[in-house]
Amino acid sequence: MSGPRAGPSADPDPDTDPASDPVVRAVAVSYRYDSGTAALNGVDLEGRSGEIVALVGPNGAGKSTLLRLLAGDLAPDAGALYLPSRRSAAGRVAMGYAGEEACHFESLSGTYNAVFFARAAGLSREEAEAAVREQFDRLGLAEDASRPVSTYSFGARRKLQLVEALAHRPTLTLLDEPFVGLDLDSREALADLLRERSAAGGTVMMASHDLDLLPQLADRIVFLHDARVVAGGSPDELLSSMPTVARFEFTLDGGVDSAELVLGEGMILVDGGDPIVLESERGHAALPEACRVLAAAGARIRVVVVRDAGLAAVFRSVTGAELDG
Amino acid sequence: MTAIVWQLEWRIATARRRLFVINVAVPLLLVLPVAMGAAPAVHAAAVYAVLFAIFSTFGSAIPLVRDSESGLVARVLRAGVTPASYYLQRTAAGAVLDVLQLGPALAVAAVGAGAGPRPFLVALMALAATVWVANLVGVLVAAATRSLAEAALFSAVVTLLLLHASGVFRTPVPESFGAAVESVAPFRALHEALLSMSLMTPVTGGAALGVWCVVMVVATGVLGGHLPGSLGVSGKS
Repeated sequence: MSGPRAGPSADPDPDTDPASDPVVRAVAVSYRYDSGTAALNGVDLEGRSGEIVALVGPNGAGKSTLLRLLAGDLAPDAGALYLPSRRSAAGRVAMGYAGEEACHFESLSGTYNAVFFARAAGLSREEAEAAVREQFDRLGLAEDASRPVSTYSFGARRKLQLVEALAHRPTLTLLDEPFVGLDLDSREALADLLRERSAAGGTVMMASHDLDLLPQLADRIVFLHDARVVAGGSPDELLSSMPTVARFEFTLDGGVDSAELVLGEGMILVDGGDPIVLESERGHAALPEACRVLAAAGARIRVVVVRDAGLAAVFRSVTGAELDG
Repeated sequence: MTAIVWQLEWRIATARRRLFVINVAVPLLLVLPVAMGAAPAVHAAAVYAVLFAIFSTFGSAIPLVRDSESGLVARVLRAGVTPASYYLQRTAAGAVLDVLQLGPALAVAAVGAGAGPRPFLVALMALAATVWVANLVGVLVAAATRSLAEAALFSAVVTLLLLHASGVFRTPVPESFGAAVESVAPFRALHEALLSMSLMTPVTGGAALGVWCVVMVVATGVLGGHLPGSLGVSGKS
């Protein structure tokens, strides 16, 4: 483990984890951009068979770069990557990757695009067409299947890219922000697809900001900050490492000067914008106090939403930084 | 793996019918005034050779760089297609398309030259082999450059140099160094075949062109995925 502050271990304990050897492993991997900025600095990470690993961190933490290194798009400046064989014994490409770029053969249909990539990965035409049809149905893309990709919306392009990464049922699936641009039904469908991939022994590694979904989906969450892995563990381990933290999101009539808020012990101002976000280590019981703080500053509260602060609070406690900042 | 890239390129070509029509019409419009005018045969043959060679080199290099910049090439290679297979299948489809698109212009040039069926067929075969080589030159240019502008510049420079080496822009001087270079240059056969349509002169560059067809396949297979240009999959960002 490395990082500015202490946190749970990034790697599972081999004595307590019955899974087999890692399918993918990064050992002390470093990478710098051409500008000299460190994108990754001595990162250790591994993914085991049947595991869903989520990479969580603010923009620029190095999540996408790490996925691109694992996908072979980039080569590390230092350290070592251990990846599955390029093709499985069945002749299928072992990796599926959906990155930031959503480029397709624009003049061709979504089906043709997806079948092409599935066949390139080693499926027969019949297998590819069946797998693509099934995933189009599940992700809600069936109605768009025969249209040229040039007519697709952002969300439809995202779904197509995910199908292209998943149709050949890869051993290692690398996904960069897979839930961005998806509607609620498609998010659920994708989560089910990833669970199935995991249940079949596949390893899924994804970068995501979707903190509501990750605790239910991921087997392990790894926090990245400033190009380093700073913490990691199962969602339960991470969440139980924190006291009960509640987050209050206040939508106000008019505004309030956040500098005038007088916060008691254990309460912090997370966001002074609209909505104003406060967090308290005393849990939901601190709501009346939060309301009093705002009222004392002259605020008129229109709506208040109460949440468990969850992973964002864990990240803040480990790094001292905001997850979305 | 079956020829999925070959099939893909044909599917794209049939989906872009307007582009196909433009690629037939533009060479025709360029060839027509030369063929129907009173240009001397050597000048007309030079114009045709330049047009056909540059059409193929640009037509190979520019779309390949564009697809590389968009990330498509990297996606296809990552998906499981080997670089050599990808470039060769893509080039094969591109060369056949070039023959279909340049064929009408060559036919007009033959009519303008008063050529019979045999010189026309010889020129058509030379054209087919030449566009194959020129397309592969385009792949290597794309692999060695880092932008569309560079690809356009290098395509023009390389093609014009090869045309010059092939004797397209000079009067032959037997037993000179230029003649020695010319005898092994790739575009000599096309130039001679185009001249032959008017002058009925012999076409002697066929063997060299055949060697180039094979050499370029090997060069593309070996170098295509390794040159540090726009086709390189692994690199800094």
